[in-house]
Amino acid sequence: MADLILRSITKKFGNTTVISKLDLSVKSGEFVTLLGPSGCGKTTLLRMIAGLETIEEGELIIGGKKYNNIPSQKRRIAMVFQSYALFPHMSVMQNIIFGLKINKVKAEVIQQKLAWVIPLLRLDGLEKRLPREISGGQRQRVALARALVLDPDVLLLDEPLSNLDTALRETAVEELKRIHRHVGKTIIYVTHNQVEAMTMSERIALINNGHIEQYDKPKVIYDNPKTVFSAEFIGSPPINLVNGEICVQKHYSGVKTEIGFLKLDRERTGKIAEMDGKKVLVGIRPQSIYYIEHLAQRRHTDTHIFLTVELVENLGDRSLVVGRCGDGPIVRFIMTREEDILPERKMTVFVDGRRIHLFDPVTRLNIFRENDTI
Amino acid sequence: MAVLMVIVPVYLLVKYSISDIGSINTGGAAIPLWPENPTLRSYAYLFTDHNFYQVILNSVIVAFSTVLLSMIIGVPAAYFLGRYRIPGRRMVLLGIISVRLFPDIVSVIPITEFFIHTGLHQTFTGVILSHTLLALPYVIFIGIGAFESIPVDLEQQAWVLGASRYQTFLKILMPLAIPGLAAAAIYTFLLSWDEFIFAYYIVFGRQELFTMTLYLNGIKHAAPQNLLAAISVCLSVPVVLFSFLVQRYMIAGISTGSVK
Repeated sequence: MADLILRSITKKFGNTTVISKLDLSVKSGEFVTLLGPSGCGKTTLLRMIAGLETIEEGELIIGGKKYNNIPSQKRRIAMVFQSYALFPHMSVMQNIIFGLKINKVKAEVIQQKLAWVIPLLRLDGLEKRLPREISGGQRQRVALARALVLDPDVLLLDEPLSNLDTALRETAVEELKRIHRHVGKTIIYVTHNQVEAMTMSERIALINNGHIEQYDKPKVIYDNPKTVFSAEFIGSPPINLVNGEICVQKHYSGVKTEIGFLKLDRERTGKIAEMDGKKVLVGIRPQSIYYIEHLAQRRHTDTHIFLTVELVENLGDRSLVVGRCGDGPIVRFIMTREEDILPERKMTVFVDGRRIHLFDPVTRLNIFRENDTI
Repeated sequence: MAVLMVIVPVYLLVKYSISDIGSINTGGAAIPLWPENPTLRSYAYLFTDHNFYQVILNSVIVAFSTVLLSMIIGVPAAYFLGRYRIPGRRMVLLGIISVRLFPDIVSVIPITEFFIHTGLHQTFTGVILSHTLLALPYVIFIGIGAFESIPVDLEQQAWVLGASRYQTFLKILMPLAIPGLAAAAIYTFLLSWDEFIFAYYIVFGRQELFTMTLYLNGIKHAAPQNLLAAISVCLSVPVVLFSFLVQRYMIAGISTGSVK
């Protein structure tokens, strides 16, 4: 068990810098997800930890020891590839014990490990099969078993669920969480799927263009996005972003926006006291806009806005309503399905003043967050 | 028509090999379509001749040694050329293929000359080396195809699991490359088995080193046609047999090799 620290890590391919001066620390036993759009460098980062890519600058430290130049073979790390990389000419059992045999582990220890890992990953009865004779979900579990038997300090998972269909993915997510609880390994998990990241991780490192945008608990990233990118990438349906200007007056302060004047709660109002006239990007999650029958039900911090409904998407238990504010921007919000909403309907909805995010349009930073470092 | 072009010579060859001499030298009369008295006498004669056993043995020695040597040199070369983007890779590949750009009769002369100076003339080693030279481009190109078709993930996964590069090569890459490499090996065997020009120049009349093709050439004016036909059949049987057995591997091997 060991903490993993990346200190000012830099990766270059030729003259292109893919990752520059990235810092990240993962506690022993933690489940951390590297989340980001494709091509952001998350897989490269994982491969650097595994020793499959060189580290141009900075330090990789595991359990207090510098690992930069230690070859993959000598790192106490296991990795599950996106393709699972099962050896096609070996049976499930031979695949699982490959690493143990290479490391000359005694036969009785190998038997113990098999007796432990096969029921854990529900692979009973498949030991003699070849990889091509088992299903995608089973292959994924074999790859995981092969990694777990090595008892690694750090387990690296590169989009292990991306080749599974949706139904299988749901169960696999639960499975992974169960296994993490059971073995308590440090896990670094790479994905571009925010739902996987939100449901599984203890912390998410949101990566964009080779640097970390935000490194926090999933809930914190959702409730308190540090940058515009965080706000846009996390959350479904996507956050509404409109232009606005801070307006500080004696009795009511708030933001003047393209969709109307929006009040803020007292805490936020206090923070913008000195910012009169500042241009901002206003972020409102679809979940923070609500519809009520009677004006009296609203909270005093909430503001009403007028919309014309353009489109209604059925999400099962709820509907996503896409409305337009006059000639202005599109606003998305979520409604329970108590009544049918039809396009062209004019309606009044309320924006929750406690959940409005304001971003600086130049630095793209959330102005309500302290200047904290990762 | 095409089928006839293939069938007729084979038919003639087999027919001659089982003919009695009377069905061949008919003294001007038409040669019958099937011998009047089919006989295996030519074969019987061949296999009582100790020289002929020696010749078969020579051919087998040369062919197997060529296969062994080409594989030992060609497989690692194919691995490195297929896996690593080393500088000058294209030049190396071009150099390898250029061996086969010249007609054999052109390259045989400088090579024989070289062997005379290095003491390899009129030796098995010389013949084996020259056949290896001929086979290597095929082994390397088919081998590159075989290794390139193995996903890099498998190799890197093995490393992460603790396998050294050598172990990875032996336990992961080799078993997966076998079908392609087997095709290359058999191709090499056949190439060496029916090669004539290089063997002829390098052995240069030293009878105890004669391979099948040289033996056939040596007696072509002295022996009756039915005996020559029988030798030819013996020469062709392994070729035909192997080609049928491995044609699927061959196609797979050659086509994967030619993609990139």
